Amino acid sequence: MAEHDDRLDRAIALLREPVPLDADLDRRIAERIAALPAPRRAGPLRLAARWLVERRLRVRPVWALAAAAVLMVVTWGVRGLIPAPPPAATTAAAPGLQTVRFVVLAPGAAHVSLVGDFNDWTEDATPMQRIATSDLWAASVPMKPGRYRYAFVADGTTWLVDPDAPPALDDDFGRPNSVVTIGGS
Amino acid sequence: MHRTLPAILFVLVALTPGRAAAQEPRLAGRLPDQTRRDVEALLDSARTAGLPTEPLVDRALEGATKHAPGERIVAAVRRLAADLAASRDAFGAGVSDAEIAAGASALRAGARADDLARLREIRSDQPVTVAAAVLTDLVALGVPPDTATAAVLALAERAKDSEYLAFRRNIERDVALGATPVAALEFQMQSAANLFDAGPGRAAGAANRPRKP
Repeated sequence: MAEHDDRLDRAIALLREPVPLDADLDRRIAERIAALPAPRRAGPLRLAARWLVERRLRVRPVWALAAAAVLMVVTWGVRGLIPAPPPAATTAAAPGLQTVRFVVLAPGAAHVSLVGDFNDWTEDATPMQRIATSDLWAASVPMKPGRYRYAFVADGTTWLVDPDAPPALDDDFGRPNSVVTIGGS
Repeated sequence: MHRTLPAILFVLVALTPGRAAAQEPRLAGRLPDQTRRDVEALLDSARTAGLPTEPLVDRALEGATKHAPGERIVAAVRRLAADLAASRDAFGAGVSDAEIAAGASALRAGARADDLARLREIRSDQPVTVAAAVLTDLVALGVPPDTATAAVLALAERAKDSEYLAFRRNIERDVALGATPVAALEFQMQSAANLFDAGPGRAAGAANRPRKP
């Protein structure tokens, strides 16, 4: 332990010793700087970027509030011009009908269909749309109140159940279905 | 025993050969000829018995899309027709086709005809489609049929359709999070009771949160 303390003391003493500098150091540094090429004159893009980065705006709180109010009005106005996104779940449709949004993950599929009691189990009746470039597929179907069995078919061969829905118990054909129930009250 | 009589009669009538069957155009080109004839005979029997035929057509078309053998399709349609007959008999007169179909699924799930009759009696002023469907769904989630039936009947007097659906969704969520089906059911029964005791507005508000049915 005492040996370690002794080594540590010597290291500290060594580090505290002043480092001798070359007396000509300052002159040589000045010469190197003078030899560097002159900076280019800033172009308009550089000036604009500098203006954007370095500019400081000083706004009174009352003007900030007014600007926020104007921005809100403009935003709400633009929203009215943009069509609403499709419903994420069940929404009201025509009287007596509710639109149900079906979504399924089908990795690698080129085509996905929704088949069920509501479309005569016809594979080309309700093709699903790919969501952006993802592996998610979606379709919206207006439905009357009732209980419907359904499944998804990927590329005409792979049957998929809806993980977000109860399974159907009455599976007579060896390929499980899901169930959606639409209420009336 | 008297509740199973119509189902037995339906099967006997459906098995009677030589009956003239009406044509169901949606089956054309989807089923082999003999299978189509057998299914149309069952549809004709169902019409005669006053049963809904749409679920039977759907079942046959499902079998066709799934490339099931003809005899399997016919057997499935026949079995469903018997379930529909039993459901209609349990609910009694004046129920819709959707209610009969939902009742048939509940019977298949293990509910008893007497329970369906009781459900109809309690909810005499509104459809029983959703209540019967939720009973079936609970069994599918792993709740024993007797327990699921007891829960659905307990809610029958005060729950709206939307509240039944919310009840089922909550149990489904709790099971997905690791609860046992019966524990989830018990917890949600207690929650439903608290909501109903708190008043109709609060119960409806909880049930109307936007979720998938």
